Amino acid sequence: MTEFDVVVVGAGPAGSAAALEVARAGLSVALVERGPFPGAKNVFGGVVYGRVLDELIPRWWERMPVQRWVTRRSTMVLTPTQALTVDLRAQDWGQAPYNGATAHRSELDSWLAEQAVAAGATLITSTVVTGRSATGVRTDRPDGDIAAKVVIACDGVNSFLAKEAGLFKAREHNTLGVKETLALPRAVIDERFGLTGDEGADFEIIGCTGDIPGGGFLYTNKESVGIGVVLELDGLTAAKVRPEELIAELKAHPAIAPLVRGGELVEYSAHLIPEGGYRTMPELVTDGMLIAGDAAAMCLAAGIWLEGVNFALGAGMYAGRAAAAAIAKGDTSKAGLAAYRTMLENSFVLGDHRRLRDMPGLVLSERVQRRYPGLVCDLAQGMFEVDNAQPKPGLRKLLREARRTHGVRVRDLLRDGITAMRSLS
Amino acid sequence: MIGAPGRPLALLVVRDGEPPLGADEAVAEAAGAALVVGSGPSATGLVSARRLWLAETGSFAPGALAAALSRLTTCGPIILPASPDGRDLAPRLAAVLGRPLLANAVRVHDHGAEVTRWGGQVTVDLTAAGPFVATLVPGVRGSDPVGAPPAVEHVDIKVERGDDVEVLETLEADPATADLAEAPRILGAGAGLGSRGHTALLGKVAAALGASLGATRVVTDAGWAPYERQIGTTGVAVDPELYVAFGVSGAAQHLGGLGSPRAVVSVNTDPSCPMTAMADLGIVTDAPGLLDELAERLGVERD
Amino acid sequence: MLVIAALRWVDPRPGVDPLTGAVHTDPKASGPSAADECALAHALRIAGPGRCVAVTAGPPAAEGLLRDALAAGATDALRIDDAGANTAVALTAGIRTLGPPDVIVCGDHSLDHGTGATPALLAHAFGAAQALGLVELSMDGELTGLRRLDGGRRERLAIPLPAVCSVEPTGLRPPRASLPAVLAAQAAAIPVVTVDSGPSMVQAGEQKPYRPRPTHLGAPAGDAHHRVLALTGALTERTPPRVVRPASAAEAADELLDFLRKHGFLEP
Ligand SMILES: Cc1cc2nc3c(=O)[nH]c(=O)nc-3n(C[C@H](O)[C@H](O)[C@H](O)COP(=O)(O)OP(=O)(O)OC[C@H]3O[C@@H](n4cnc5c(N)ncnc54)[C@H](O)[C@@H]3O)c2cc1C
Ligand SMILES: Cc1cc2nc3c(=O)[nH]c(=O)nc-3n(C[C@H](O)[C@H](O)[C@H](O)COP(=O)(O)OP(=O)(O)OC[C@H]3O[C@@H](n4cnc5c(N)ncnc54)[C@H](O)[C@@H]3O)c2cc1C
Ligand SMILES: Nc1ncnc2c1ncn2[C@@H]1O[C@H](COP(=O)(O)O)[C@@H](O)[C@H]1O
Repeated sequence: MTEFDVVVVGAGPAGSAAALEVARAGLSVALVERGPFPGAKNVFGGVVYGRVLDELIPRWWERMPVQRWVTRRSTMVLTPTQALTVDLRAQDWGQAPYNGATAHRSELDSWLAEQAVAAGATLITSTVVTGRSATGVRTDRPDGDIAAKVVIACDGVNSFLAKEAGLFKAREHNTLGVKETLALPRAVIDERFGLTGDEGADFEIIGCTGDIPGGGFLYTNKESVGIGVVLELDGLTAAKVRPEELIAELKAHPAIAPLVRGGELVEYSAHLIPEGGYRTMPELVTDGMLIAGDAAAMCLAAGIWLEGVNFALGAGMYAGRAAAAAIAKGDTSKAGLAAYRTMLENSFVLGDHRRLRDMPGLVLSERVQRRYPGLVCDLAQGMFEVDNAQPKPGLRKLLREARRTHGVRVRDLLRDGITAMRSLS
Repeated sequence: MIGAPGRPLALLVVRDGEPPLGADEAVAEAAGAALVVGSGPSATGLVSARRLWLAETGSFAPGALAAALSRLTTCGPIILPASPDGRDLAPRLAAVLGRPLLANAVRVHDHGAEVTRWGGQVTVDLTAAGPFVATLVPGVRGSDPVGAPPAVEHVDIKVERGDDVEVLETLEADPATADLAEAPRILGAGAGLGSRGHTALLGKVAAALGASLGATRVVTDAGWAPYERQIGTTGVAVDPELYVAFGVSGAAQHLGGLGSPRAVVSVNTDPSCPMTAMADLGIVTDAPGLLDELAERLGVERD
Repeated sequence: MLVIAALRWVDPRPGVDPLTGAVHTDPKASGPSAADECALAHALRIAGPGRCVAVTAGPPAAEGLLRDALAAGATDALRIDDAGANTAVALTAGIRTLGPPDVIVCGDHSLDHGTGATPALLAHAFGAAQALGLVELSMDGELTGLRRLDGGRRERLAIPLPAVCSVEPTGLRPPRASLPAVLAAQAAAIPVVTVDSGPSMVQAGEQKPYRPRPTHLGAPAGDAHHRVLALTGALTERTPPRVVRPASAAEAADELLDFLRKHGFLEP
């Protein structure tokens, strides 16, 4: 039988980071991926935050396949006829050591896997892991069993391995992310988004998904833009609309249309996102197995954030380290692998998730989704509307009117504000 | 001498007097001059011919035939239809004559040819320094009937048996194919239809509209429809009144077998694909989506 | 017996810009076409326990395709690094280094060039019989094939050796490689021969999107007046070409059904 010290299932960001760390520790590791190459079928919106890579790949920014460096970050609140945007530009994000970057998954995932292979990992593509065996995992290839002391499950949102091990929790707040890639000439993107050189823009949007809890995004690549929506599954089923229709509506919104006009559709993709956060995470360790990344619901998705890749990278890295340490000590039982959880707790991975554990619920709540966008837009419009003859209304009056129009009670406003403040502070 | 020095010459391989698909177009592209070889060569069906040389060379054997044609050194471009036998013979002839081969041309000119690449999605204009051999995709040009019978000369070409394959038997087209060839209305399934299920559904919708199901080679290769349903240069040549293409890109080899339908509709997400470019009505939409809707309106049951 | 599978490394789903004709290929997504995979499967069958060599003329990145062929059962592999532009010449030179081939199996046409000429040129170079565009190929003491002709006809062939065969992409695929074979193939060293097949005999112009050319029609009969009427289409009702972008499937169906009704293909 084929034997490795560790087998990592799934060559997404989590899997490649795990394999890299195991290989660096001098152990043998197989990185098994079902696609023909890493990232072949993987989907994401498009922004990766590389800080976590500082620890993994020195000066990663000189080598990572990047489309654009994000120097402009806008948060937009939309109603059908209004848009309120908080627009941040940070020029130093356009320089080393950089902040976020847009990238293509097929390029990013392949590059990450190459790092693991360069460190000594064995990448096995076009191979599906079909379950665990007494000694490791089974695959769909003839003679396909792989024996390993530790299995690291990085097989994404529908993790078969986590389900099989009974670690999978029925997940609330699973969302469907759908995305269109629209080709536009580079100069047109630069001009429309006010960018030069390698600069990129990242728009996170709320209030654009009608009756379905969710949000939207718009990211710039070199010669295309990615635009999409993230939709709560239950809401989507109930609303009986097709996700494409919501993207079409978003593209037609007066604040978005001028940015994407004339873009040629080159790709349409869809993927599930585990948005539930901390409260929906499974147990992360069992005898001989660790779970990392989306497989463990580690995607941080709370309205103005959509970060999964960096959490997957971080979790994968710690999983790799914990596996290597456990093998060195000769104890790969649940107890022997427990250091994984501690490392996560002490890092941003579980640190952020614990702190923001109430945010997914808040962001997907009916008020934030359906009432607040209109409220803040009306408030802003009232502030700036010049209604001479009448004296300018005071903010308190505007707020009261807007609250009435949108049916928001002071009590709820305060409570939601406190939840948000507590999470963010 | 066969052909005029420096002037183009069409080269046709007939089987039992039957000219290959695209024969007349190759003759037209060569301004009416053609050498007809094979079994039972004749002028039948060649309405564009002005000057013909006919040579009985027996059953088709590309290696031996190419060697026997080595004396075709003085004529200009030699143009063969990109039919199965033409594609077999052309490279052998080019090799024997030391000429470049410009295969899959959609237009041949004195100094080269415009050839298709990437399954007919793009074209490149190739220029040759001297005379060359080209294969012309059937159906891309039409023919120019001359109106007068051509001048015919019988010539002797000796074919020495070589290392060629031996034909054990020829199987006639399936009756199901003939059905498609004569169908007045055809709904065509292309790769854009996306699945076996939707191809089957298109067959039912076609039946409801009194039409037959046709397909592209991508679809028949995928096994979504039987090979007899394939329209094109290596499939069935059709000439319907109505052709509705669902997710068909309109590669030259597909259009080559399409004849000249009176009404053409192209359903495709790509507004600038060749199929839509030649359609009376181009509907830019998701083909499976439209098909589902049609099936529902026409009360077609899916299984 | 020496059986060769000639496999071309190409992106099966390139992005083609419909306006400029620019073709964007992705090396990572590249590999053999369905026809070439089918060719490999036939070559493995014909070779049986004998020698079956997977050969490609292409860049180092094409070695992935050779490793897959090794994993699927090819006994060895060869990459030809060609500095020139004549693929068939390069392949011939490379294959000669392996000894005289008995059977070379190719795909019927490549996805990019699509000429289907390479196998015929190989047959010429090796003085072999050629059987192109086969939908069936079997070795049962003797090599026989079924070839597709136009008009839906077929012919059954007896193919003497040495032979070059090209096959259409039918359902046959190489067997799924076992995991140990995959790992062994990954570690295998791929021999490379360097050749120079010389410059191209043709000069290529700009690549453009395919646009159908106007087709020639016979001149209509009748006197000048009627010919003019016929040529201008004044006597036939004709809809001008129209491209619509309906917002929904329902609107699209309306468009289509209206068209069919207007042209008498459907009861009003
Ligand atoms: C529309 C959308 C937009 C997003 N936008 C962003 C964004 O802008 N920024 C961001 O940081 N995150 C974003 N995310 C989230 C991010 O994509 C994920 O959190 C991240 O990819 C998780 O990485 P992972 O390695 O855990 O899993 P994945 O990337 O899902 O990788 C899992 C891998 O395992 C393989 N696999 C699965 N099962 C098996 C098996 N049985 N055998 C072998 N291999 C298997 C898969 O093929 C895949 O390669 C977005 C997600 C979506 C859907
Ligand atoms: C020697 C030779 C002989 C050949 N003989 C034949 C032959 O006889 N007959 C034949 O048909 N082909 C033949 N071919 C193959 C031919 O070159 C093309 O590859 C084939 O016709 C393409 O088929 P297609 O249009 O179905 O697929 P593609 O070219 O892949 O086109 C698919 C189309 O569907 C569209 N599309 C995708 N998704 C959707 C959607 N959701 N809704 C709507 N539209 C969508 C795309 O925009 C595209 O235009 C031959 C090739 C060679 C080299
Ligand atoms: N570079 C190459 N290396 C190996 N085989 C090739 C190469 N180019 C073409 N072939 C073979 O020749 C067949 C026909 O290719 P083409 O003549 O380009 O249409 C392909 O399907 C391959 O089997």
